[in-house]
Parts: sequence; C-alpha cells; structure tokens
Amino acid sequence: MSTSSEPTTTTATTVSRHERAVVLPANLHARPAGQLARAAATFTSAIQLEHGDRTVNPTGVLAVMGLGATLGSTVTVRAEGPDAEQAVETLAQILAAAE
Amino acid sequence: MSASVGIVLVSHSAELAAGLRLLVEQIGSDTVPLATAGGTDDGRIGTSYDLVLAAIRSVDRGQGVVVLPDLGSSVLTARTVLEDHPHPDALIVDAPFVEGAVAAVVTAASGADLKTVADAAKEARHVHKL
Repeated sequence: MSTSSEPTTTTATTVSRHERAVVLPANLHARPAGQLARAAATFTSAIQLEHGDRTVNPTGVLAVMGLGATLGSTVTVRAEGPDAEQAVETLAQILAAAE
Repeated sequence: MSASVGIVLVSHSAELAAGLRLLVEQIGSDTVPLATAGGTDDGRIGTSYDLVLAAIRSVDRGQGVVVLPDLGSSVLTARTVLEDHPHPDALIVDAPFVEGAVAAVVTAASGADLKTVADAAKEARHVHKL
C-alpha cells in the first residue's frame, strides 16, 4: 500500500483526530468516489478529504469526483471524532486500492 | 439493514434511463430499489403515465420514493401521476438527471432517510465538475 502514514492523535477526551496522506495509484474515478462516499457515511466522525487547495466532505460523491484527483497526486484523509482512526484507515484503504 | 429509499428515473428515452441505471449501480449500489420509466408505452421517445406509476409502486419499500425526471414532459407526467395517486412519501426532486441520480443512490445506499436522499439529489446542482 503506497501510503505515507503520519497519524496525529490527540486524546483529550474520547474524541481523537487522525490523518493520513495517500498517493493515488490511479485517477480518482467515479467508482472509488462512490465507495468513499458510502464508507464515509458509516462513521460518526467528521471526515475531510484534501487535494491540493480543496477540501471536501467525502460523503458527497459528486464533490469527491469534482476534486479531479489524478494518478500520483496526494489525497489527505482527516477525521475527528470517536471513530476517527477507523474512518481514516477505511478511507485510506479505498484510496490506496483505487484502480 | 432496513429497506432504503426507492429511486425512480423518468426519462423520454428508455435507453437513457437504462444506461443511467447501469451507471448508478456501478458507482453507487445495486441494492437500492431502483426503477426506470423511459419512453412511451410503445417504445418511442416520450413519457408514459402508466410506466411512471408502475415504477413508483415497484420501488416503494415503505421508506419513501424519490422521483427524478429528466426534463419537460417527464416532469409533467410524474406530477400528474402523483396528483392522481397521492403518495405522502413520494417526492419529485428538481435535480440534474445524471448527477442527481448518482448522489441519490449513493446516499440511499448508506441508509439515509427520504429528506436526506432528496437533498443530496438537489444539492447535485451546486457541485462543480471542474
């Protein structure tokens, strides 16, 4: 998996923050965008995807496609909330597995 | 997981509706109740009252139905059907056809309620492609 993992965890209360940068192995097409949106909707944490100077909520499949993220570029997954670590892990895996 | 909101694609063209269906099944989900009402009863370009009514009934799992018309008489036909057969949980949503369908199906697949699915389709108008 071509991810560079730098989770920054702050456990002030039960809320944690995580992030991970993934170098895309393929263009971020419609199909992985759909997978990301459906996966993101299963977590309670607030999740963001950052690409270049744009940040979107990954539950919006059209917004994810609109990032125009291409092969070799970096997408950063950020999450804050009780299941942030799992959310980042799950979304990063989808990004890293995109074909 | 409980049943999800149903989606109906109303188009002047059976091929357009069928093609959009294939697309949203790949991007979103093939488990969301989805029906198409494309073309006239005899397969020409146009819309069919009976096909729209049958489509709405076929996807109703008790969680509500979002009806997405492509344009023009699709809108009018869908409206007439729902006026003649009032259905409190069926909404005609003003949205771009392709983008609205993709957003609605992805949102419905996550178990969202009727309003959330309808809003996702409406908001598709404001998401930039570029």
